[in-house]
Amino acid sequence: MKLLLIEDEKELALSIQKYLTDKDFVCEWVYNKKDAIEKISIYDYDCILLDLMLPDGNGFDILKELKHQNKAEGIIIISAKETLETRIEGFEIGADDYLTKPFHLSELLVRIQALIRRKNFNGNNIVVFNEISIDILSKTVKVNNKLIDITKKEIDLLLYLIGNENRVLSKSAIAEHLSGDMADMLDNHDFVYAHIKNLKKKLYDAGSGDYIKSVYGLGYKWNNE
Amino acid sequence: MNKKLLHKTLRAYLLYSLLILLIAAPVFYYATQKLYLQEADDTLLLHKKEFIEYAAPTMNETNIADWNKFNRNRKINAFDNLSTDTIYTTTYYDTLDAELEPYRELKAAVTIQGKRYAYTGRINLVETQDLIKSIGILFLATISILLIGLFFITKKMSLSLWKPFYKTLQQIESFEIDKTRKPEFTKTEIEEFNRLNTSIEKLIDKNTAIYKTQKEFIENAAHELQTPLAVFQAKIDTLIQRTDVTQEQSEILDSLNDNVSRLNRLNKNLLLLSKMENAVYNDKQTISLTNCIRKNLDFFTEQAKAKHLTIKIDSGEDVEVKSNPILADVLISNLFLNSIKHNTEEGEINISTHNNSLKFSNSGQTQALNSEHLFNRFSKENPSEDGTGLGLSIIKKIANINGWQVSYNYSNNLHSFTISF
Repeated sequence: MKLLLIEDEKELALSIQKYLTDKDFVCEWVYNKKDAIEKISIYDYDCILLDLMLPDGNGFDILKELKHQNKAEGIIIISAKETLETRIEGFEIGADDYLTKPFHLSELLVRIQALIRRKNFNGNNIVVFNEISIDILSKTVKVNNKLIDITKKEIDLLLYLIGNENRVLSKSAIAEHLSGDMADMLDNHDFVYAHIKNLKKKLYDAGSGDYIKSVYGLGYKWNNE
Repeated sequence: MNKKLLHKTLRAYLLYSLLILLIAAPVFYYATQKLYLQEADDTLLLHKKEFIEYAAPTMNETNIADWNKFNRNRKINAFDNLSTDTIYTTTYYDTLDAELEPYRELKAAVTIQGKRYAYTGRINLVETQDLIKSIGILFLATISILLIGLFFITKKMSLSLWKPFYKTLQQIESFEIDKTRKPEFTKTEIEEFNRLNTSIEKLIDKNTAIYKTQKEFIENAAHELQTPLAVFQAKIDTLIQRTDVTQEQSEILDSLNDNVSRLNRLNKNLLLLSKMENAVYNDKQTISLTNCIRKNLDFFTEQAKAKHLTIKIDSGEDVEVKSNPILADVLISNLFLNSIKHNTEEGEINISTHNNSLKFSNSGQTQALNSEHLFNRFSKENPSEDGTGLGLSIIKKIANINGWQVSYNYSNNLHSFTISF
């Protein structure tokens, strides 16, 4: 998978690049509008991560250029601007997702994965991990081909864990992922433990392997061993 | 009690007028009376002179009885050794009116055909006292009319004179520093009022400028913080992936993680507050509060589980309010969060919508909170708790924007926040 990261903050760009590269993505990084437009004119990408405030212009111009060239890349805006107007404008010009800074790298990764799944969608949209298969559209989970009783939130959590396989996910990252828009207000991670416990039990009862590992006091990790 | 400026001037006028009236009325009365008595005395003396000049020479001892018979007010009596003229006031019983009437009387010695007699002349004073009364009434009436006139003229004058002042007052009263509308003062002909308006204008301009800078500062600061926060967050995310982290290090990382999240929330909430002040959320819609609560209920029920809280909803009647939908959501979420965060293990949360008001009650610490600072930013009852300290001020701000009232009270071991719409 090939990604283009357009971000002027070097430290952030390096962290994103590292996190994604470890996940079998090829992540190219440019830090200004001029280079970005040059790149998109020459290459095709699976996904573009776009910052809006660039040293030589507005990220929206790149979006417009992409649409102008009839490019079909999935675009995720990553910006410090969080007004509803900016979001709406972004979606109207053709962005597929919008992530407000600061964000967890794990969150960015599952957003990219979801976007690529949607883009490459061909009839069935199923995520498979060993004996577990998740049907994104019908919101069902099968373990060893048997449907299990699972809530939407647990499916969401499962996708998040599998998507970040072998990565340590902090409790706050999981809490923020599960809370969605409410994450800005929440300062309570207690419910994360309850969700993890329930999911673990459901998978275990259905005969799945014990993939969810607790990492000291830090958080959890989906570990295939 | 506060008095109006106008009433104060009028009161002074009225007091002065009354004082003058009180002093002037008796003075005027006595002066009139004295003048009249003098006039009566003069008349009596004139009558006596007339008698001596014209009547006395033509009279003799025999027609004195006739004179006395035909003159009610002038009598000739036997001489009683009174040689000088004496004038005094006395009363006689009037058989016609059947009442005692005051008279002014002159007693003098006269000589008729060489023989001395006592002459008595009198004037009825009744009519004069009536006259004095009439004069008194007239005087009172004049003063009263004068006073009433003075009252109304002053009132009218003051009103028109102070009109620019009241206009200015109205402008200042309707001025709010967080609203964009600036008060406009009309120019007057009076120097003092113009001075007042100019200084107020200057004051407002200066304060608005300071307020704006302050507001922009908070917004910019919050905005600028987002990028380093993003880097901070990303670095921690990267660091926790390392496999050689010891337990001690991981505890530090966990604490860092929690604090960066908290910083993040703090920042977002500050941004929210400053955006509300910048009137970003101005478009309003009709919102059903019951729906808004229901929409958030699942999420917060989940949040409440960790503390084993019981949430009871008593939506007796749906309350519909006019508000920005985002803000209504933020309000409900913050009320929920507040009642969960400050609750005790196995406590309760009661939500009710009644009589155009919304009430969130929750169990918690067993003493009332200090309601004075409760809604201030960063005011925390317990400094060690990890909340942002902005929740209640956000609630208050949303209420202010929409013109709602927020009140807090503590009874039956429940802390209640009520929003009245």
